[in-house]
Amino acid sequence: MLDEDCELLYLSDRPEKLILEDIPVPPMAVRPSVLVNGGQSNENDVTSKLKTIIQKDWELLQIEVAQYINSDVRGSPQNQQQSRPLQGFVQRLKGKQGRFRGNLSGKRVEFTGRTVISPDPNLKITEVAIPILMAQILTYPELVSNHNIEKLRQCVRNGPERHPGANFIRDPSGTMIHLRFTSRKRAADELKYGHIVDRHLEDGDIVLFNRQPSLHRIHLRFTSRKRAADELKYGHIVDRHLEDGDIVLFNRQPSLHRMSIMSHRAKIMPWRTLRFNESVCNPYNADFDGDEMNMHVPQTEEARTEALTLMGVQNNLCTPKNGEILVASTQDFLTSSFLITRKDTFYDRAAFSLMCSYMGDGMEPVDLPTPALIKPIELWTGKQLFSVLVRPYAHMKVFVNLTTTEKSYTKSEETMCRNDGYVYFRNSELLCGQLGKVTLGNGNKDGLFSILLRDYSVHAAASCMNRLAKLSARWIGNHGFSIGIDDVQPGKILKDGKDDQIKLGYKACDEIIQEYNQNKLNLLPGCDSAKTLETRVLKALNDLRQSTADVCMKELHWRNSPLIMSQCGSKGSPMNISQMIACVGQQNVNGQRAPNGFIDRSLPHFPKKSKIPAAKGFVANSFYSGLRATEFFFHTMGGREGLVDTAVKTADTGYMSRRLIKALEDLSIQYDDTVRNASGGVVQFIYGGDGMDPAKMEGKDGEPLNFKRLYFKIKATCPRTRAHLNLSPEEASNFVKERLSSLDGRCSKKFKKSLSTFLEGQIHSLKTTREQFLGERNSSGCNEKIAANISGITLQQLQAFLEICITRYHLKKIEAGAAIGVIGAQSIGEPGTQMTLKTFHFAGVASMNVTLGVPRIKEIINGAKNISTPIITAKLKYNNNVKTAEFLKGCIEKTILGEVSKSIKIELTSRKAAIVIKLDKKTIQGSQLGISADSVKRSILQHQKLKLKDEHIHTSDDGKIIISPPETDRNKLHFSLHSLKGMLKDVIVKGLPTAQRVVINHDEKKETYELFVEGTNLRAVMGIPGVDGHDTKSNHIIEVEGTLGIEAARECIINEIQYIMKEYSMSIDNRHMMLLADLMTYKGEVLGITRFGINKMKESVLMLAAFEKTADVLFNASFNGRHDDIEGVGECIIMGIPMPIGTGILKVQQRVEPIPNLAYGMDSLIS
Amino acid sequence: MEEDVEDKTNDDVPDTVVEEGEEEKEQQQLVEGQRKTSKYMTKYERARILGTRALQISMNAPVMVELEGETDPLEIAMKELQARKIPFTIRRYLPDGSYEDWGVDELIVEKA
Repeated sequence: MLDEDCELLYLSDRPEKLILEDIPVPPMAVRPSVLVNGGQSNENDVTSKLKTIIQKDWELLQIEVAQYINSDVRGSPQNQQQSRPLQGFVQRLKGKQGRFRGNLSGKRVEFTGRTVISPDPNLKITEVAIPILMAQILTYPELVSNHNIEKLRQCVRNGPERHPGANFIRDPSGTMIHLRFTSRKRAADELKYGHIVDRHLEDGDIVLFNRQPSLHRIHLRFTSRKRAADELKYGHIVDRHLEDGDIVLFNRQPSLHRMSIMSHRAKIMPWRTLRFNESVCNPYNADFDGDEMNMHVPQTEEARTEALTLMGVQNNLCTPKNGEILVASTQDFLTSSFLITRKDTFYDRAAFSLMCSYMGDGMEPVDLPTPALIKPIELWTGKQLFSVLVRPYAHMKVFVNLTTTEKSYTKSEETMCRNDGYVYFRNSELLCGQLGKVTLGNGNKDGLFSILLRDYSVHAAASCMNRLAKLSARWIGNHGFSIGIDDVQPGKILKDGKDDQIKLGYKACDEIIQEYNQNKLNLLPGCDSAKTLETRVLKALNDLRQSTADVCMKELHWRNSPLIMSQCGSKGSPMNISQMIACVGQQNVNGQRAPNGFIDRSLPHFPKKSKIPAAKGFVANSFYSGLRATEFFFHTMGGREGLVDTAVKTADTGYMSRRLIKALEDLSIQYDDTVRNASGGVVQFIYGGDGMDPAKMEGKDGEPLNFKRLYFKIKATCPRTRAHLNLSPEEASNFVKERLSSLDGRCSKKFKKSLSTFLEGQIHSLKTTREQFLGERNSSGCNEKIAANISGITLQQLQAFLEICITRYHLKKIEAGAAIGVIGAQSIGEPGTQMTLKTFHFAGVASMNVTLGVPRIKEIINGAKNISTPIITAKLKYNNNVKTAEFLKGCIEKTILGEVSKSIKIELTSRKAAIVIKLDKKTIQGSQLGISADSVKRSILQHQKLKLKDEHIHTSDDGKIIISPPETDRNKLHFSLHSLKGMLKDVIVKGLPTAQRVVINHDEKKETYELFVEGTNLRAVMGIPGVDGHDTKSNHIIEVEGTLGIEAARECIINEIQYIMKEYSMSIDNRHMMLLADLMTYKGEVLGITRFGINKMKESVLMLAAFEKTADVLFNASFNGRHDDIEGVGECIIMGIPMPIGTGILKVQQRVEPIPNLAYGMDSLIS
Repeated sequence: MEEDVEDKTNDDVPDTVVEEGEEEKEQQQLVEGQRKTSKYMTKYERARILGTRALQISMNAPVMVELEGETDPLEIAMKELQARKIPFTIRRYLPDGSYEDWGVDELIVEKA
């Protein structure tokens, strides 16, 4: 073979070398033999395979050698299957436990611990309590320096068995002193018979580990340790025990996002569990029902620093998924805050002061506010306690301003809300509102802690959370809060109300069923009568459960514990409560009522074909009243579906997350603000279109700032004084224009525009108020002041507002080095796991089923060519007319001849044989199909398989089509007529063959119509006259790419993922979707996040080998002579070198002071 | 069939990378004149500097600020950063292989 041919074949070397002449025999360390008791040795698989290779005859040698390398190779002639196939080299590398994924990409490490976790509200949110037993084993190697020598001496003296002690001393030469046992010399001197000596080889010299009878040990150890402590020198390393304030990493599996592993400060405590503040449960998704968690101790100063500054709890309060706060109060904290801030809670001086001291252990200064009531006795409200909690003493410069609406808010009335659901903090004073989950809990952007974090500091938010945890734990301990059987016993009114509701609901269902039986049902668009029945009954039953729930919630006593918990959002929903007390409701399997397990019925307790609610899984009883046998069975059916669903989807989402991570792992922000992969390929020119950090976004929909809130805050915190100048609208707008035009280029246009539109709106409202006041009467001075009071702004306020907006905008930019790819992958992968259990599948029109949830995400991410429910949304040019919509529906929807003909008959007369088709004019007119006999003829002629010619078909005006087949052979005529009749039924007479179904969607609000086309062929739908092609969308990404191009496909990916997430009411920053879509499309074609797609995206062999198909990747790489630059994250981990991401993106140089120019110097030797 | 397609796409990619890689190393010259990158210190730079400095301090390097009883090297390093006394230069690499040098005292440090 010529060398040129090799090149053509992409062979890196001569093909002769592909023939194996020698086989590798690895050293014993690679294939250790294990000694079993009794002197027998268990040989490694490799060794035994080598043995067979040596023994086998020539003929079988090839197979044996092949199996030596890859034991999956078939072809061993004797069919006797061995019990276990021996492990070949390929098997060692392959799979999750293989070398690549098991030992190179992830390694087992030292200095770790794992135990059960438990809560402790007395700890700070940044702390974790570590049992002493653990702290004595986990050590940190501290270098002895002048700052810590005394402390370390004491540690050495304490030794390994008293807590702030040490386990080893290492000196720079490498010798190690084992503090658990005596120093070498003494041990040797005092070695006695009966002592057990372990010999260890360490750096060439022998260290004796001396195990001695216990009594003698203490004294001996003490003296030698004292000496070791005295001899401690700078440069020694002491492996000291973990102590308070040490930095540890804390982690709970599954580690779905970066907040699953955070660094805490250690706090050494007695007992045996790891403890932390309940506020940190959320990011770990931990509870205390027996969960275990892991702990790692970073071993170098650099690792500690990075852990603290980048992974600290205080730096991860917000999730980068959408910028919502994640570390926040939960459960009991919410309950007690809710109860404390109730309108009718008052505390006298003693109680109030006691509660104030709860929150800081009595160690923090507290300024008591003025009591709300002074006579007859001084009383403080619970709301005032929260004012103290937010701002304990007057020196603290924290002025929180926020308004939110809690769950119970009545949707109007603002501060006068009768449920006290409108929370209003003004300058750190809680004016009104009963606090609950929206204000204090996780998952929002306008809560108390989010605002403390954004407007003030991390520290302000964290310390406030600490105070709340302490206060609430103590308060609720005294107050008491529990749930008992009387909490779920329905009263008489409730029982009667529920029975009424159920009667009503059953009646409604019976009516629907009766209509169905009489075939009078008004069909829903795109449904047959059975489907219509099911949807309508299902809706009626869901309404029924809702109405019983409403009755239940209304009738419950206000002190009912489950009610309180659901109101404040700490646990349970109204539905959970009503299931306990009133009615469990409809049990669904697969989104439908309970299916028929028997012939025409679900259970033999019911008559056949019964459609009544009870026969199809409606549970009218409550958990309290107890389920009947049939109801119980239906409930287990529903419950099982949930379990199966979770089990299946966790596996699915796990694999999806892994693929996402592997595809996105090396994307990072560079110093020129571009997003690039490891080999320098540009994925985005600026991250997310504006280069902002999703974790820091304050506004909804990923806007950087919430101007409205900031404006409100500024107006509250710098109030108008006499000295301040009130601005007229003109002055204000001039000032704004001036300031905005002086901005440098680092602000995006979008931001400038949004800021100026917001301010214009404010100025406009000022203008209108002024006009109203000044227009009425001309008593200028007073009215102008009133107008200014309502919506005026002073120069100082405006200035402060603009400056805050601009500086904060700059701080919200994403920083160079951020591993934004991984963050994006986690942000999309993590919500996937929460999409379990919710299995509702329909969206938009009730009859239109769209695949949602994990299967749909999988489709999108895989870039699937065939998706299960392709839907084209066609907007119409004239969208306010049902007639046009129906006409276009007829044009698009596939209509077959069978549907529009009254009859298709074979007519046999003595003279001729023919098929006569009679068109159903009524149907055709009714749905505006515009089909005539001539058009049918044309479609029949176009049909490829029919092979009929013009002369065979005769049409008549009254919609009759007569087809006489060309067959002349009389014997075959009968059969051909029948087969022709069968085929004619399926002739498409109108519409697109790919459009299975078209549903007209009526938007009741806007009075517009649009079409949902179930099927593919976007191009054809767009081309139909009357359809607005500019506005027509498809959910099939590959088709969009083929029809509209790659940019449209990118947009489609973003929209589709966002749509799914919205359906599950999960908010994810659009920037993550953009990055994913950009990665999938940046090569010019849509690449799925599968091994084929990733193969085309990445160049690194090692990374691909660690992903999937390890052996194939490696074989191909050697065949092609590939090389790997070790640039990406995966490769760097495998090779164990720092990666160019995060802190690795830069280099640090020591700045050496320039040597001063000396005026004097040595005399020159030679003059 | 599929493998063939993959192989062809892989064909030219490694070659170009090799050439670029070799040139890159020679190209690393300082960007003269105005610097383009942000004047804010990123959290990664802060972490890296504090880490490096804390390591130095733990190895008995002379401390550049007055101490008020701090013993933890990291705390001392943070105090030094606050006082802008860390004698380091940050070398920011741009994707084309060139770099910008920024002194620690030139960058705006966000309080955290």
